[in-house]
Amino acid sequence: MTDLSIEQPATVGDRAKDSLRSQRTLPNGDIQDLTPSKLARGLREAGALVRAPHRVLPLIHKLASDMLHLTFARPHLYSYSTTKRSSGEALDRLLRWIYKAERPDGGIAAYYSLLSGYSRSYPEVTGYIIPTLYEYAKTAGDRRAVHIAERTTQWLLSVQTREGAFPAGLHGSEARPSVFNTGQILHGLVRAYRESHDLQILNSAIAAGDWLIGMQQADGSWSGLGAYQGTTHTYYSMVAWALAPLSNLVDDRDTRENYGAAAERNIDWVLPHFRPDGWIDGINLRGHPTYLHFIAYALQGVLECGVLRGRSDAIDAVKKPAWVLLRRFETTKFLPGAFEGDFKTGHRFTCLTGNAQMSCVWLRLYEVTGDLRFLSAALKMNEMLKELLTVRGGKGIAGGVSGSFPIWGPYQPMRYISWGCKFFADALLLEQRIAGSLPALESEALPCAS
Amino acid sequence: MRIVILAPSLYSETACAMAAHLAHSGYVPAGAIALPTLDSNTLRRKLGQWGAGRVFGYARGKLLARENAKASVANPYLTSFLRYESGSFRSLREVGQHYDFPIAIRRDQNDDRSIALLSEWSPDLIVFTGGNILRQPVLDVPRLGVLNVHLGFLPEVRGMSAPEWSLLKNVPLGITIHYMDAGIDTGPVLKRFELPNAQGYTSLVDLHNRLVAFGVEKIAEVVRALAFGLISAKQQSQVDRDNQFFVMHELLQRRAAACLSRHHPPAIPEVARG
Repeated sequence: MTDLSIEQPATVGDRAKDSLRSQRTLPNGDIQDLTPSKLARGLREAGALVRAPHRVLPLIHKLASDMLHLTFARPHLYSYSTTKRSSGEALDRLLRWIYKAERPDGGIAAYYSLLSGYSRSYPEVTGYIIPTLYEYAKTAGDRRAVHIAERTTQWLLSVQTREGAFPAGLHGSEARPSVFNTGQILHGLVRAYRESHDLQILNSAIAAGDWLIGMQQADGSWSGLGAYQGTTHTYYSMVAWALAPLSNLVDDRDTRENYGAAAERNIDWVLPHFRPDGWIDGINLRGHPTYLHFIAYALQGVLECGVLRGRSDAIDAVKKPAWVLLRRFETTKFLPGAFEGDFKTGHRFTCLTGNAQMSCVWLRLYEVTGDLRFLSAALKMNEMLKELLTVRGGKGIAGGVSGSFPIWGPYQPMRYISWGCKFFADALLLEQRIAGSLPALESEALPCAS
Repeated sequence: MRIVILAPSLYSETACAMAAHLAHSGYVPAGAIALPTLDSNTLRRKLGQWGAGRVFGYARGKLLARENAKASVANPYLTSFLRYESGSFRSLREVGQHYDFPIAIRRDQNDDRSIALLSEWSPDLIVFTGGNILRQPVLDVPRLGVLNVHLGFLPEVRGMSAPEWSLLKNVPLGITIHYMDAGIDTGPVLKRFELPNAQGYTSLVDLHNRLVAFGVEKIAEVVRALAFGLISAKQQSQVDRDNQFFVMHELLQRRAAACLSRHHPPAIPEVARG
């Protein structure tokens, strides 16, 4: 999800803010107090429950289920979560959730709220879910995923502005063009063109890429018009990652180099924000804590851009924060859902999407470095996420990934979110690819960097 | 040499074997502190760690084993250390009664009561066989330090699942006896011992059991060497906070098991063996 521009309701997450804060004294109270507008949004969403009383039971069930899980889960240094649920089964459930989230207009809903049901289509997630759909179709041989990817691509082409940008927020809510959302959608367009060789899609991707380059500052960052809160963000490395592969789709050599150079300019701007202790400055979410989701975005963008552009400095920079988070997860079996200025702090909820993204980062780092500790941690993370996957329930619930665990945590409270399903599916697809290649290594000692 | 044993429970075979072997070698412990075997914290921890089914199976196995002395040793390699004239030690209390040293049960090895008792016993050495992560006040009690047997070579394989990671990293299988400090396996090394005939093990459990017994066998050797001033501890080289291993995922454990039969690590130079 981009920019936190989808309104989050004020629910238990806000009321329990103090209890969810770190045990350490936090350096600043960056989280805004319960504002009237937030309260109004919360009441509006809660009011939807009155109009749809059939949602009450699923809500109570989920609240009770998370409460029970919290009460009896006893993370231990020498153990990790295990589940009998296979990765293939979990993947099928996730994709079925995504299929059901397709809206009549052809876009994918941002979330299913336990209070108010499905949201409207969300262009950003609709875009970057496309690579996941194609990847799943390839792995599971499910043509339905391809059909949905094709429909959503067509819908995206219809919402693109003449300048090449894509709008922020839910469909119909904002006309403001968004740098981050355009970059995220570009991921989908590039993949859709690779699969379909449809020139209309290529032209759309090029228009998006050109608009992004036009919006980029001389120092490689994106700020001002089109940037969330008008300021720079290091997690916009995801935009750089989207630009990098575009260079391979264009024939003209000069144009091609433009995209790659723009991607590298952004990485050059992001890298100095990586602190020696692993923390990444410049996430810049005014009014919000630094959610793990955005830290993981910064890491994914820099890592993948580094791989695509052959930038070992970028890959090396990612190793430190990835390792700090790995050690935190391995020793406590838990990654805080948000931080306050360094990795020593941490809120007491977990952001499942951020966890899935970290699994992707660790799996890719294993592929790039051969260090098996990254693989081991990612496999354990996937086990934990499989265990927390909601398997029973109606449309919008079964196979869904909640914003926070417990579901009343402050990140997208009371919602199953489509980008959570997307990133967890990506992690499981990566796991399957890597696990499939492991037997070949059995004949010799597996490489393990120290 | 005054030695105190810290044990994870009264029924820890490793702790019993360690205490019995040290006593048999002439170093009767001045005392031992064990964590309670069955308290609500342990039960909840084990339920979280293993799940109800395995906890039930474990408890049933222990109860059945007590009725059948022959089956009481889960790690067959420890049998010889646990044997005495009229049978086999089944608890630390039995070892204490046999060799006449006191046993205390404490809920936390770091709490004030434990520290007071340890100070009263005034040990030269504490031998750690499991329990809590030790804090500095406990580490500061003994004159020489707190000894730990790590089931892998340090500094190459710090942390957990050391035998399994050794197999995947192609590091020799063996143990390291070292002083504990506030870090995880970062304390000064006294001696490293390579496991002889490391190819002969059929499963990871078998290998783990053998390494534990190997540690029991070698601890007395190190204590004797310390008593006679024959060895000194060396700070670990390459101690890097990032060079740590964690519990290995089951999928990789299966790969490690597959490596057991063809584990041929390069020879380690004698100098490096500590």
